[in-house]
Amino acid sequence: MSRTRRGVRSFSLLFGVLIVSLPTLVPAHDIITTPVTWNREISRIFYSRCVACHREGGTAFSLMEYGETFPWRTAIKEEILERRMPPWGGVKGFGDFRNDQALTPEQLELITSWSQGGSPEGEAKDLPAKDKLDEMIKESAWYGGATHADHQPGEIVIKGDFKLTKAFVLDGLFPRNVPEDSSVQIIAEFPDGRIEPLLWLDQYKQQFAHVFLLRAPLELPAGTVVTGIPDGASIALLPPPKE
Amino acid sequence: MRAALLSLILTLVAVAQTPAPLPSQNAGDVYICPMDPDVRSNNPGKCSRCGMALVAGLPDPVEYHLDLSVTPRPIKPGQPASLTFAVHDPWKNRPVTNFQVVHEKLFHMFVVSQDLEVFVHNHPTLGSDGNFHYDYVFPKSGMYRVLGDFYPDGATPQLIAKSLIVPGQALKPVALARDYSPKDAENLGVELATEPQQPISGGKTQLMFRVKPGDGLEKYLGAWGHMLVASADLIDMIHEHPFIADGGPQVQFNVVFPRAKSYRVWVQFQRKGVVNTAHFDIPVKELGK
Repeated sequence: MSRTRRGVRSFSLLFGVLIVSLPTLVPAHDIITTPVTWNREISRIFYSRCVACHREGGTAFSLMEYGETFPWRTAIKEEILERRMPPWGGVKGFGDFRNDQALTPEQLELITSWSQGGSPEGEAKDLPAKDKLDEMIKESAWYGGATHADHQPGEIVIKGDFKLTKAFVLDGLFPRNVPEDSSVQIIAEFPDGRIEPLLWLDQYKQQFAHVFLLRAPLELPAGTVVTGIPDGASIALLPPPKE
Repeated sequence: MRAALLSLILTLVAVAQTPAPLPSQNAGDVYICPMDPDVRSNNPGKCSRCGMALVAGLPDPVEYHLDLSVTPRPIKPGQPASLTFAVHDPWKNRPVTNFQVVHEKLFHMFVVSQDLEVFVHNHPTLGSDGNFHYDYVFPKSGMYRVLGDFYPDGATPQLIAKSLIVPGQALKPVALARDYSPKDAENLGVELATEPQQPISGGKTQLMFRVKPGDGLEKYLGAWGHMLVASADLIDMIHEHPFIADGGPQVQFNVVFPRAKSYRVWVQFQRKGVVNTAHFDIPVKELGK
């Protein structure tokens, strides 16, 4: 998380000098110590990762506008650092998913800097054009345009360790029944001995169940063992959707 | 009093390392084709695809794809393995072969084992195939997290984690107890103090290192120090450089520990041509608990 912070350091320190020099001119609340603004960086992240749900008419309270987001700035920081939001549920870098909605380290850093640095709004000219908003929301939708229903034909539902009796092209995984708040690492052990990480769920929340779609289909030969599924849990192995 | 404080802050400004410029903060640094926004350059000119004039723009912090492949497979403990890192753009998945130098290198790589006993900070080299390559011997079986730190031209810096599993007996996650004890490294000792003494998740923690002896400290890869922060479960991995350092024995890093977990931090300092690595363990608590 250091790079943006390096980039903002001189701004922060110089601004600190101004604050110390002119204490009577600065409001007693929310001293601005970050160059990261809502209009420039944060709105773009929220539009691509949050407002599919957090908008008027969505499934959660709106975070579309600066005035709507500002009161939640501290809670937002806590939620994103704990990876509770966005509720992707998978650990980045264990498996590779084309519908990955988790925040990147850079995005985590920007939001943290903005939240801790006074959460400035910034200049109106930096706000992304609203005529592209529908497109951004569409791109950010959960499931990446595909749902579990699209994959149901040919899926294999597995419990515990499972050995494939014939080759299977894996396009994604769907946690059908995973214990609440559990941490689960699912891997594929190939007949030649190699091991591929498939999916690492952490603090799993059933209410946010969704498909995890691989960036590229993975060919699992007969004899591959999929393992790591805890007692009482079941996972669906999804083939590519039918055309 | 105010003058003294101002003087102190100005001194801190003077001794702080010069931050590397970030193109995302400077609209004029990057030129983007308005028709093909994935065509970007660090210089003005015309789009190589459509011929439109490139316009100064602000790169959005998009995530590039990093593919990590290893040969031979399966990976065997104690035997050489060749790691290949291939970077692709997020728009059309095309290979990316042009990168900015960051801290004297095109690609920084960290490898950490699940038991936190293995730590590697090294630099895969760019091959003629446009990919980065690194040969490594995994010392034991289990899961490893591999962190790639690179900066594609016209984009924003990328920090992408991957996971590799070396077949065999699984390494068990570790439970870290607080360990601030002074460490002896290659040719210096390292002491750690934090402010606050008990780091809180989501809040800024100052990590103040004091190295002994204090002479002969040199920049390593363009910085007075490097630090990797990893949570014991290896979900959080953060690469930091000093917030305040001037070549003297005091080096300060600032970190926001994301979660109320235990973290291991590895610090690296170079003295008289020798790179020193030491690690400390820091339990982080939730505010009020």
